[in-house]
Amino acid sequence: MSQDDKAEQFARLASRFLRGRIDRRDFMRTGLQLGLSATVLARLARSARAAMLASAPEAPYESGVTSARAAFLRDKPYKGTTINVMVLKATVGDGLKYHVPHWESETGGRVNVAEVPIETLHTQIFSDLSSGLGRYDAYMTGCWYYGDFFVPKTPYIAELSKFLADPKHPYWEPDQWLPSMRKLYTWNGKLYGVLFDGDAQALYFRRDAFDNKEAQAKFKAKYGYALPNPPKLMKEMHDLADFFTGWDWNGDGQKDWGISLHAKVNEQGFFHFLTLAAPYVISPDNRYFFFNPNDMKPLINSEGHLRALVDYVKFLGNGPREQISWTLGQGWDLFLAGHAAMEPTWGDLPTLGQDPKVSKVKGKIGACPIPGTTEAFNPITGQWKKYDFNQVGNTNGGTWHCVISQHSKKQEATYDFLAFMANRKNAFFNASHGWTGVQPGMRYEFLPPVGSSSVAEWQEQGWNGDDVVQYLKAYYDTLSATVQEEYLRIPGTAEYWHELDVNVSAVLGGQMQPKQALDATAAAWEKITDRYGRAEQKALYQASFA
Amino acid sequence: MTRLRAPVMEYGRVFRYVLLLPAVLWVVGFTFFPLFAVLRYSFASYVLGRGITGFVGFDNYVDVLGSARFWHSVMVTAIYVVVSVPVEVVLGFLAAWLVHLGPPGARGFRTIIGAPLFTLEVAIGYLGVTMFSSQGGVVAVLLAKIGIDVPWLSSVWGGIAAAIVLDVWRWTCFIFLIVLAGLAGIASDLYDAALLDARNHWQVMWRLAIPLAWPVTSIAILLRTVECLKVFAIPYALTTGGPGTSTEVVSATVYLVTIQFFDFGKGSAMGIVFLVIVSAILAVFFQQMRKRLA
Repeated sequence: MSQDDKAEQFARLASRFLRGRIDRRDFMRTGLQLGLSATVLARLARSARAAMLASAPEAPYESGVTSARAAFLRDKPYKGTTINVMVLKATVGDGLKYHVPHWESETGGRVNVAEVPIETLHTQIFSDLSSGLGRYDAYMTGCWYYGDFFVPKTPYIAELSKFLADPKHPYWEPDQWLPSMRKLYTWNGKLYGVLFDGDAQALYFRRDAFDNKEAQAKFKAKYGYALPNPPKLMKEMHDLADFFTGWDWNGDGQKDWGISLHAKVNEQGFFHFLTLAAPYVISPDNRYFFFNPNDMKPLINSEGHLRALVDYVKFLGNGPREQISWTLGQGWDLFLAGHAAMEPTWGDLPTLGQDPKVSKVKGKIGACPIPGTTEAFNPITGQWKKYDFNQVGNTNGGTWHCVISQHSKKQEATYDFLAFMANRKNAFFNASHGWTGVQPGMRYEFLPPVGSSSVAEWQEQGWNGDDVVQYLKAYYDTLSATVQEEYLRIPGTAEYWHELDVNVSAVLGGQMQPKQALDATAAAWEKITDRYGRAEQKALYQASFA
Repeated sequence: MTRLRAPVMEYGRVFRYVLLLPAVLWVVGFTFFPLFAVLRYSFASYVLGRGITGFVGFDNYVDVLGSARFWHSVMVTAIYVVVSVPVEVVLGFLAAWLVHLGPPGARGFRTIIGAPLFTLEVAIGYLGVTMFSSQGGVVAVLLAKIGIDVPWLSSVWGGIAAAIVLDVWRWTCFIFLIVLAGLAGIASDLYDAALLDARNHWQVMWRLAIPLAWPVTSIAILLRTVECLKVFAIPYALTTGGPGTSTEVVSATVYLVTIQFFDFGKGSAMGIVFLVIVSAILAVFFQQMRKRLA
């Protein structure tokens, strides 16, 4: 090992220690293995810790600032540098734009933000990358695009460890990630994404309606058991959706609905199906939802998926028919306006629910993980199996964040901007404000005993205390469930999911029968797999479960 | 003399080719080159990030010809064209005839009716989302009040019907303007003579205006049909092809396959197959038109 290698390894080690990823003991032990003396290491450890500042005048928008960062900012290091970032035209894009002037004032750099709607985002990103034009330095990506970045021999996006090790960049804490969330930002163990969003779907419901004694009595009379508060099983969720449909349970003189969904094709509605179908297929005995890992044959038309789709369609009758053509925001609006009893969706909903300008439900929002089943189909063995309670966590959604283009000539400045948004102060701001479209994924955002945040900290951001306690618990339980629905990130995922989306939408619209739709999806998936190469896809799919 | 004329002839011939050159370059660059590129891709397997991974013969064509989704989109496009173009022609002709008769306010009407032509199709599509929403959309609510309660954007036929209504609104004025010009080109003494023999303006229109304006009208129909076969923005902005694929026209299918998912092989084969279909339709159209004019 050369002296240069050792120096680089030590720099990495020091950075890990500085960022809290390893404790003092590990720092000393590994340092000794690199040949440094204990005395030197102890001195270095002290000085490294001392180099961390809670704040610095040069970095007014950051909290947790290294002294190297403070020194670096004194000269406005990116004056004259302009970076171009492509973002999703949605709340997450707004969230990114919010931080632009702050970073610009600290560093002297400039950020051009191009907003692209979701239906063309994949096209725009990969047109820019595959053509080699490199007009953008960074792209906001959904995690299901990840596989496509790694199809060429040289990945389209840049690995970040060299930037992460450099203390002059904003300090953020990858060690704080919940493991299920960290996985979505990495590829083959290497970090490619900088913290922004953390998506998972949970069930949000009207706590006041579920707690209502009169409603509870009516429910028991109708279904023969106590109103499940919160629902634990899919059957209970169906009964609740049915129960709260068609009468004025919120007392505003209008008939209300049991559930709100958004199911417009070519949007993000298919995530509802992925989430709600998971406990019909995923179980402690089966982790595979999409493909058989042995031959990449699609599992999507299994008996479990079919039952899940048939049950999913039943939910439509418990919400406005128009849901079939609703975008995400329209689905949320029904709940926020107080007319829906439940919505299985992302954490944006309770977060937006805290904003009185758009919400009538602040202080009334309950949350729980997506209900489970008592029976799941194992598509590998072809058998149904009974369980006492089979609940499945998920990381379904975009987990929108930025990656840096391999073509970018301003990778360092681009990373600096992205890391700036990932600094704890900004990350917490994002996660606690609905309009940013960002949800939590870091331990410091959750409440004790699993995290280090506090109810008071969230209340300072305008949250209702009861809402935030339920929200964070449901979210953490979903992200850290022992049985998880693995996220599909192989090349072509956007295309696989598009086929599923179109066919599920065809069932919702009455154009196809459920079995026909899932068989059509499986047939289309086979062709996509063959085009990308079955062996390559199989290897990547298997690796995603490693 | 001969010796003097020859250089002039040479110069003239060269000059002719020089004048032709821009047009030739244009056609080669923007017609032949893309066409040959599409033909080449249609025989290839293309993967994002890897480019052409091999040539697969007619596999892409076999795939397209056996694709239920492609033929469904052809059917949706056919319904779209067959319904919207005749409605636009009838409404456009009637409006042109009425304006041609010169009632009070005709000049103002001519300006107003032309306005949709200058509106972006994609904007019309997005506007349609709010107009046809069953939760307070103007059109949906008004129609519901007279008993036409259709789940416009959430049903298979509602979506395509809404797109056709918007298309008719957008393009009727195109027919109107062309036909109006055609009617204005008919000599006024013919109208005067016809009015002496006819019982009313309806008969004049039927017996005189339609036959004489037919050459111009048929050109309008041809242009409109070609445009309509390529329709994309209105239905896609309105429903993104859904529910399912119920409003997915051919252009949208080709766009999704080729541009969204970078399957240039299959997308190119789709384009070629559709080109053949459209060419056949246009050939029949031209044949009929020639017969009528003869």
